[in-house]
Amino acid sequence: MTQLLWNGLFVGSFYALVALGYTMVYGIIRLLNFAHGDLYMLGAFVGFGVLSVAGGLATGLGFVALLIVMVISMLVTGTAGLLLERVAYRPLRGAPRLSVLITAVGASFALEYGMRLVAGPNPEVYPVRLAGDPVNLLGARITIQQASLILIAILLMAGLQWLVMGTETGRAMRAISQDPTAALYMGINVDAVIARTFFIGSALAGAAGVMAGGYYGKIDFLMGFIIGLKAFTAAVIGGIGNIKGAMLGGLTLGLLESIGTAWIGGQWRDVFAFSFLIIFLTLRPTGILGERVTERV
Amino acid sequence: MTSYLTRRLSRVALVGSAAVAAMLLSACGNGLASGGGEKSDDGPIVLGMLTPLSGSSSAIGPYMKNGAQLAVDEINGTGGVNGRKLELKVEDEACDAKSATAGANKLVTAGVKISVGGYCSSATLPTLPIFEKAGVPMLIPAANSNELVAQHKKNVFLINGTGAQQSDAALKFMKKVGATKVALMDDNTSYSKDIADTTAKLLAGSPALAGRESVTAGESDYSANVNAILKGQPDFIYWTGYYQEGGLIIRQLRQAGYKGNIMVADGSVDQKLVDIAGPEAAAGVFATMTQTPDTIQGADKWIADYKSKFGAAPGPYSTQAYDAVRVAAEAVKQAGSTDGDAVIKALEGIDGFQLFSGPLKFTPDHTLSSGGFQILVVENGKIVLKDTLQ
Repeated sequence: MTQLLWNGLFVGSFYALVALGYTMVYGIIRLLNFAHGDLYMLGAFVGFGVLSVAGGLATGLGFVALLIVMVISMLVTGTAGLLLERVAYRPLRGAPRLSVLITAVGASFALEYGMRLVAGPNPEVYPVRLAGDPVNLLGARITIQQASLILIAILLMAGLQWLVMGTETGRAMRAISQDPTAALYMGINVDAVIARTFFIGSALAGAAGVMAGGYYGKIDFLMGFIIGLKAFTAAVIGGIGNIKGAMLGGLTLGLLESIGTAWIGGQWRDVFAFSFLIIFLTLRPTGILGERVTERV
Repeated sequence: MTSYLTRRLSRVALVGSAAVAAMLLSACGNGLASGGGEKSDDGPIVLGMLTPLSGSSSAIGPYMKNGAQLAVDEINGTGGVNGRKLELKVEDEACDAKSATAGANKLVTAGVKISVGGYCSSATLPTLPIFEKAGVPMLIPAANSNELVAQHKKNVFLINGTGAQQSDAALKFMKKVGATKVALMDDNTSYSKDIADTTAKLLAGSPALAGRESVTAGESDYSANVNAILKGQPDFIYWTGYYQEGGLIIRQLRQAGYKGNIMVADGSVDQKLVDIAGPEAAAGVFATMTQTPDTIQGADKWIADYKSKFGAAPGPYSTQAYDAVRVAAEAVKQAGSTDGDAVIKALEGIDGFQLFSGPLKFTPDHTLSSGGFQILVVENGKIVLKDTLQ
């Protein structure tokens, strides 16, 4: 049982990191950025590229190398998020919601098959792998690496929480999410703040991508699809638009999957997990922590 | 195999079907343009091959294509068949039903006389009626799901051992290593579920079935599945899916502390399996596999020919594709024409034609009389022959 909970929390922290980007963007401009999962994929590939170029140097450093690579990858995916917003979303800000949604799906395809052109269709294997001897903790097998990945995820989330609740930028973000027009009248540079939101959300997805690459080892150009769906589910369960909700939703979904698999078998896991999406959408569309009824797309 | 592409396309069904429609249209266009010249009786005999050149199994495509091309060149070098040259046309199957049907239509309109392709079972399945309607006999070199056999189409012949034969070989080896509790894991695709189902039926008494688990392909974390399968305390785990998930599952099984035997089916036999799992975790993993160039005794000259021609070593299904072309040529020779029914009759009559897997004689089901499956093992990071099960 402890093992189940641990597995759930570990997977859940990945979902949470990716869900944060979904929820931030949705919270501010009411856009479901379907390309978000593919930014996670982009992050994993950037990390792979940097590690391959660094070669033996990186393999020697191990975990530290992954940390450095993670920061580089966050900067690159963050910039890609900026670009995406500038090219695909900003020109459509006044357009009907459906147009923006379709653009998001298009952006997702463009990222995936663009990466396929660059990196080829075959899966790649990370040159630096995180593997360690597990220690027994209350009946669960836990490796130091798993624990440190969760720690990194927690630190990133705490940093985000501080950024949103404790800084000027954060206050501007919250203001825009309440009323963009009023925020504009108050002298907030709406475009700049939205761009910053995209940068932060995408950087978090990139970090999760590098962490997944280093831990699981295998990356491919479609790896962002399923986790994108799962992160979206997590964001809805937690209450889309709500940052704490995304964290909670990610962990909840991870636990649901882990326990669901143990109870009713792996072939039913996705049925089990996605049923909760439907249940939440019908019974409590605001999610666990949602504050107000949001418009659904 | 339900590829990622299939799932992706279903997400935006509209965009997907529009793209497929466009592909089909362009397929017809090309076919009509080039189909005109194939009617004459002294032009080349066109053989068609569907093989994955893109998508998750794209590594296999060149192996099959080159194997077939080698046979075509050899046969043309000795004067061709009935005085006519052979010509190979290759289309991308992408391990995806939509691409495969588009490719099959393209081949049929290009005037293909015999099909010598088919890798992923779920992609090959929808192409059977297309070739049947066009009266084109199919010699399938790799795809081997029992579902293909269960269609009972008279134009379909399998050059690879079937799922049932693979299960038999797996069971034989499980007994040999003294397994008592066997757990099965599949990825819910036609090919994978098929082997798991037939193996599960064989597991009664000793060794006994100690659990079954289906995973979702395309994910990274299978720890929940691993946990569930280890609850049955198996001492032998058989994974029947493809190598990408296989590598991750092997690694995660070992991380969860599983010390027993692991075996994978032929869809997982790829060097990338070892890379993804990591050489330490993959060490000692067994595999059920039909003959590959590396494991066939006396194939040295053939391998050398292949290497000098294509500048790369042959891989899985190179030999089966090579054999498929040779069998096709033999059948046309015996039939004296390229007429579909005559060729099918000739194929059914072939007895003792020498293939890499042994002398050929099709069963009434149009499968090989013996599958030729053997056991491979991962040693020092390489997949090598362990046991021929003879």
